[in-house]
Amino acid sequence: MHPALSILVFTVTSGFGYGLMTLLILSQLLGGSPFANVNAYLIAFFVAFVLMSIGLLSSTFHLANPKNAWRAFNRFRTSWLSREGVLALLYYPIALSYVAVLWINEWQTTVAAYVLGAVCVVLGFVLTHCTAMIYASLKTIPQWHTRRVPIGFCLFFIYSGVLAYALAVVSEGGSPLSAVWIAACVLALTGLVFKLKYFTFVGEPSKTTINTATTFTEATVRLFDTGHSAENFLQKEFAYVVGPKTQALARKAVLALAFIVPLVLSALQFSRESSSLSMAIAAVLCCYVGLLLERWLFFIEAKHVVRRFYGEQY
Amino acid sequence: MKLGLLIDLDTCVGCHGCATACKQWNTSGTIGPLSDSNPYGKDPDGAWLNRIRTYEVGDAPDSKTVHFPMSCLHCENADCVTVCPTGASYKREEDGIVLVDQDKCMGCNLCAWACPYGARELDHDQGVMKKCTLCVDRIYDQNLPEEERQPACVLTCPTSSRLFGDFDDPESEVSIKSRQRGGRDLMPELGYEPTNKYLPPREKATVEMFALDSTEDGFSLKSWVNKMIAR
Amino acid sequence: MVHVLLKRRLIDEEFLVRYTNAPQLIIHAPGSAEHGLILRTDEGEPAVWDQVSENYASACDPNVSPALVGEYQTPDGRTVKTAMALILEKYSDLQYAPENAAEQCGIAAEDIERFALEMAQIAFKESIRIDTEWTDWAGRKHDHFIGRPVSMHAMRGISAHSNGFQTCRALHLLQALLGTIDCPGGHLAKPPYPKHIPPHIKPARTCAPNTPLESPPLGFPTSPEDLLIDENGDPLRIDKAYSWDAPIASHGMMHMVIRNAVNADPYSIDTLMLFMANMAWNSSMNTAETMNMLREKDDNGEYKIPFIVSCDAFHSETVNFSDLVIPDTTYLERYDTISMLDRPISEPHAACDAIRHPILNTDRDVRSWQEVLIELGGRLELPLFIDENGGRRYKDYKDFIINYEKTPGIGFLAGWRGENGDQHLVGAPNPKQWEAYIENESFFELKLADNQRFLRHSNQGYLEFAKNAGWVGSTDQIVIELYSETLQSFRLAGEGLYDGPTPKTEEQAERLVKYFDPLPFFYKPLEQQQQDENQYPFYAINQRPMHMYHSWDSQNAWLRQITSHNYMYMNRKQAIDLGIDDLGWAWVESHNGRIRVQVKYMEAVEKNTVWTWNAIGKQAGAWGLTKDANESHQGFLMNHLISESLPKQKSITNSDPITGQAAWYDLKVNIRAALAEEQGSWPEFDEVKTLPRQQSTPDSVSYATHSNVNLNRSNRDILTRGGLK
Ligand SMILES: Nc1nc2c(c(=O)[nH]1)N[C@H]1C(S)=C(S)[C@@H](COP(=O)(O)OP(=O)(O)OC[C@H]3O[C@@H](n4cnc5c(=O)[nH]c(N)nc54)[C@H](O)[C@@H]3O)O[C@H]1N2
Ligand SMILES: Nc1nc2c(c(=O)[nH]1)N[C@H]1C(S)=C(S)[C@@H](COP(=O)(O)OP(=O)(O)OC[C@H]3O[C@@H](n4cnc5c(=O)[nH]c(N)nc54)[C@H](O)[C@@H]3O)O[C@H]1N2
Ligand code: SF4
Ligand code: SF4
Ligand code: SF4
Ligand code: SF4
Ligand code: SF4
Ligand SMILES: [Mo]
Repeated sequence: MHPALSILVFTVTSGFGYGLMTLLILSQLLGGSPFANVNAYLIAFFVAFVLMSIGLLSSTFHLANPKNAWRAFNRFRTSWLSREGVLALLYYPIALSYVAVLWINEWQTTVAAYVLGAVCVVLGFVLTHCTAMIYASLKTIPQWHTRRVPIGFCLFFIYSGVLAYALAVVSEGGSPLSAVWIAACVLALTGLVFKLKYFTFVGEPSKTTINTATTFTEATVRLFDTGHSAENFLQKEFAYVVGPKTQALARKAVLALAFIVPLVLSALQFSRESSSLSMAIAAVLCCYVGLLLERWLFFIEAKHVVRRFYGEQY
Repeated sequence: MKLGLLIDLDTCVGCHGCATACKQWNTSGTIGPLSDSNPYGKDPDGAWLNRIRTYEVGDAPDSKTVHFPMSCLHCENADCVTVCPTGASYKREEDGIVLVDQDKCMGCNLCAWACPYGARELDHDQGVMKKCTLCVDRIYDQNLPEEERQPACVLTCPTSSRLFGDFDDPESEVSIKSRQRGGRDLMPELGYEPTNKYLPPREKATVEMFALDSTEDGFSLKSWVNKMIAR
Repeated sequence: MVHVLLKRRLIDEEFLVRYTNAPQLIIHAPGSAEHGLILRTDEGEPAVWDQVSENYASACDPNVSPALVGEYQTPDGRTVKTAMALILEKYSDLQYAPENAAEQCGIAAEDIERFALEMAQIAFKESIRIDTEWTDWAGRKHDHFIGRPVSMHAMRGISAHSNGFQTCRALHLLQALLGTIDCPGGHLAKPPYPKHIPPHIKPARTCAPNTPLESPPLGFPTSPEDLLIDENGDPLRIDKAYSWDAPIASHGMMHMVIRNAVNADPYSIDTLMLFMANMAWNSSMNTAETMNMLREKDDNGEYKIPFIVSCDAFHSETVNFSDLVIPDTTYLERYDTISMLDRPISEPHAACDAIRHPILNTDRDVRSWQEVLIELGGRLELPLFIDENGGRRYKDYKDFIINYEKTPGIGFLAGWRGENGDQHLVGAPNPKQWEAYIENESFFELKLADNQRFLRHSNQGYLEFAKNAGWVGSTDQIVIELYSETLQSFRLAGEGLYDGPTPKTEEQAERLVKYFDPLPFFYKPLEQQQQDENQYPFYAINQRPMHMYHSWDSQNAWLRQITSHNYMYMNRKQAIDLGIDDLGWAWVESHNGRIRVQVKYMEAVEKNTVWTWNAIGKQAGAWGLTKDANESHQGFLMNHLISESLPKQKSITNSDPITGQAAWYDLKVNIRAALAEEQGSWPEFDEVKTLPRQQSTPDSVSYATHSNVNLNRSNRDILTRGGLK
């Protein structure tokens, strides 16, 4: 699949945003504010909002006719994209009310805060699930049409949230609880294993072959003529390929940047007296770039079945 | 009603006539214009609703070249419709035609992603999704003579390899032909249940050889007996 | 297959006796001037041997029962044999046996035999019967037609070889033996065909200023007397058609004009005028050299072809060489007729013709070529175009088409004739005829009656109808000529036995003797006879793409998306053996030059044959395309490899020695993979200069005749349809 930059940026950046928001809420509800001062808390919230919004905005960049983007809320009955849109819209007032309730109650976790916070946390997961289902619902892309996709999206969203949250705390001069570093390590490790398994999974042949595409299931089928000389929309969109070397390199980079480096850094943080800011920054940056690359590969390795009509055997 | 096309892979000669007639009709029809980029330059490309690819089935000498026209198959389980966030894509209840409302589409490509058959193409110039309309603006047009109330591609096909009709009606020509010749679904495993069916190439007819009852040598002038045949 | 059928006597004897010249008697007198000519009665009619009277009789007499096979002595002591006897003698020779044919054509002997026997099965055991009363040429009534549903189609694949004419005749021989000509399920003619053979039209011999041609420029010679040669035996025409080089060149030999003119052979010319022909490119053999010829200058620095005029609708490669360009309108903007006098749009069972009338208004002051010709005719005061008072007879093209009559009652258009438009085929001019065509979607169709549909060469009902329509000159039976006396007369001339013009050179004589066989035969194409087979092991041929017409669809924004560059298709296994990659570049070389092309693997191509689409390659900058268009850098033209003359006889055209038909498909080549850095098609030519005021091409077009009328989906439906899944 052709990886549209705006979609990569959207899913990863808003993932960080929702993740950070979710962690901020969870920590508040479970153990009280980790921040020394109120402003730091507000700034963290603000950053989360900005990340979410950057993501959402960039998602409209790949639309060929953005003036109709508002109509995307219409088909929540069947469309995961529509559902994502509706929930994303819903998320703002709820998250803002949560912050407002905290603020009004001088950062005391009231029942209202509990309720709103819990809703927000759940919504974060549901929303991420919806985003993932946009891809996972496509029967046309065997590499996406799997439960692995929503699981992965949720995993990465909460993982990036944990790293972002840790950075937020460290940047305020604090040190997160060891549980946070442990969570980061566990999630990184899970992500690593998950991704390794996914790489094997995407290599599996699909049951949709050039033979089932053309109905000739009892003989070899070869594409002879595409019917057009230059690449068309279908080939540009669905038959976007990179060389095997680039692909192998990208896989290694994803594992290293998104998971191994943050894992090592988080383990080091855990073993330190006080957390290091530069290590926290490095972890987040590596993870961000790593996940962007992960999302890019997610597209590159997705083989839309239209490619069978263009000669791909399976 | 379940309107669709029956396409005969046995007789299609790959002339692209249907694809061109389709573009001609629809570029000024309900879904037009169908734009082209670099029309007179390098790598010309454009939006088409119907394309013909050609495959080679089997290895020489037991190989057959098969021309394969493809437009929207107007699927029963049209995921292209399910995924569309704006509601621009829809399947008509009355006849099963899948259409894109050009005024409502936001050009997100998601429906094209959801279509296994490459039947949807984004028009770069117009920013909206294009697909076969089953010539909805011909088949119901009372101003056309009845025999012309057929899709443009069907009317133009020189080998009558495309038939249009109602697959819900077991007595329609398309239903009967499809039954007789074993009309097939493309990628049935995906469960889209396409309406359009493809007729497989026929087995080569086996022709008997003239049974020889004598080994007489026709070359011999001497043994030739002329028949009495009046000029 | 002929050998197989004859050996088994699986032939339609009735068909041969009734409808062909197979029973006619041929004089057997080797070394004499009458050898191979048809024995004639005192009245000059072909003779047959009547089995009833046991005597010679006229083949035109319906009351005889001719012997199909036989050898006789005439009272004056001459030996005569029926044409069929000659056919039997000739094809019984083992060189025609499947085993030997297999070696030539690569099709296994068993398969050749099987094809023949399958055809016999269909023709004779699975024949069809159509019950219709009809009357034959001699007035005898029949109550049915027998159909032998074996049908064959061939055109350029056979005619574009230098043995094409004889191969076509061989196909027709096969059809006649099976009785499948103009019968149900067989090879059917379309009105105004069939015509008598040969049509009584001789090519115009002379031309003089202010004088109409005595006959059409193209026609059908029947003997050496009809050749267009001077007293030295040299060609009169610039293309050398109807000379000893190509005696029956009934299509003319346009492909030789530029070369002949530049070589001043037979003479030089001052003006070359081209209408709708891309002679500097795809319709020339040896394109690169042809372009050089068009630029060639003599010792005085004058162009060898001083003045070139082209009339064209597009900026073709040839237009670019022209001193004067007459821009034509395209067929969307012009008047035209597809007339019964030429090649109409008839169906086998319906006489049809058609018109074109402009559906677009021209956006500048331009008239269609037809209009211009009519105007010129008037201004030049050509006899046909002026009236009794010397004034202009025809106002415009439409006026001409409606009112010109070839013979009284017969004009360009067959439909809606007569003053009131109620007569068809024949009738006085109808002032409203043009409108009647437009009313009927621009065409006219007249279905033949059931009794006129088959065996039209011998069908009185049809022949009378056709004579009335002016399609044939008489209602005489049209006898199918399996044995060609015309060819034999040229062969006699080659042998020096002909009582009339004879060739002047050995070369010419040899060609006549060798190739003008009155019965069809196979010979190795001329070019292939003169080169080393091993050096050029591959046959290289073209095919017309169904979606394009020669060179001029590359300016079409849609069609060029389908094919903006072509490949050389090659047998997959063969290419792999030669180390050529799928979509890899390769050099293809003939005795005439080499080209670099992209190879595409194919299963369905014979292993020693390669092919490509015709006329896709373009010169950069021509046709209004951008200079980087794919046609110019990846597309290619096979024509560079095809020579217009024979490898060892440079002055003789690479064409059929009988008809002068260009041997486009005789080409043989060798192929090798190009080096990795050798990419793109070759040769490339200088870019065509941008014309003054030429507009740049748009990056995008959204062509439509009107803005779209969208079908809207209601918002209610959008919000309510479909369950939450
Ligand atoms: N779409 C389209 N239609 C056209 C035209 C066009 O340009 N485009 N041009 C028109 C004109 S001017 C003409 S002359 C006609 C020509 O019409 P066709 O005769 O149909 O011409 P081609 O397709 O060039 O050649 C026919 C086939 O001959 C095969 N062939 C080559 N050599 C041999 C041989 O030795 N034996 C046999 N059996 N086959 C052989 C080729 O592989 C090819 O498939 O088409 C007319 N119609
Ligand atoms: N290698 C190879 N070469 C071949 C052949 C082959 O099979 N193989 N086939 C040969 C055969 S059979 C033929 S017939 C020739 C065809 O060769 P040509 O007849 O030379 O080729 P075309 O491309 O048909 O176009 C001739 C010119 O007509 C112009 N034209 C188009 N429409 C109009 C119009 O309305 N008015 C005017 N005035 N001009 C117009 C085009 O711009 C073009 O310049 O090619 C021959 N060349
Ligand atoms: S062919 Fe594609 S576009 Fe057409 S209905 Fe099926 S899924 Fe939708
Ligand atoms: S491109 Fe248009 S029709 Fe397709 S899913 Fe998006 S909004 Fe719907
Ligand atoms: S039915 Fe109409 S829109 Fe669909 S492919 Fe045929 S011509 Fe095109
Ligand atoms: S018009 Fe008919 S024969 Fe030609 S490509 Fe289309 S379906 Fe095939
Ligand atoms: S293929 Fe085109 S040009 Fe040829 S007869 Fe048909 S409509 Fe006419
Ligand atoms: Mo031609």
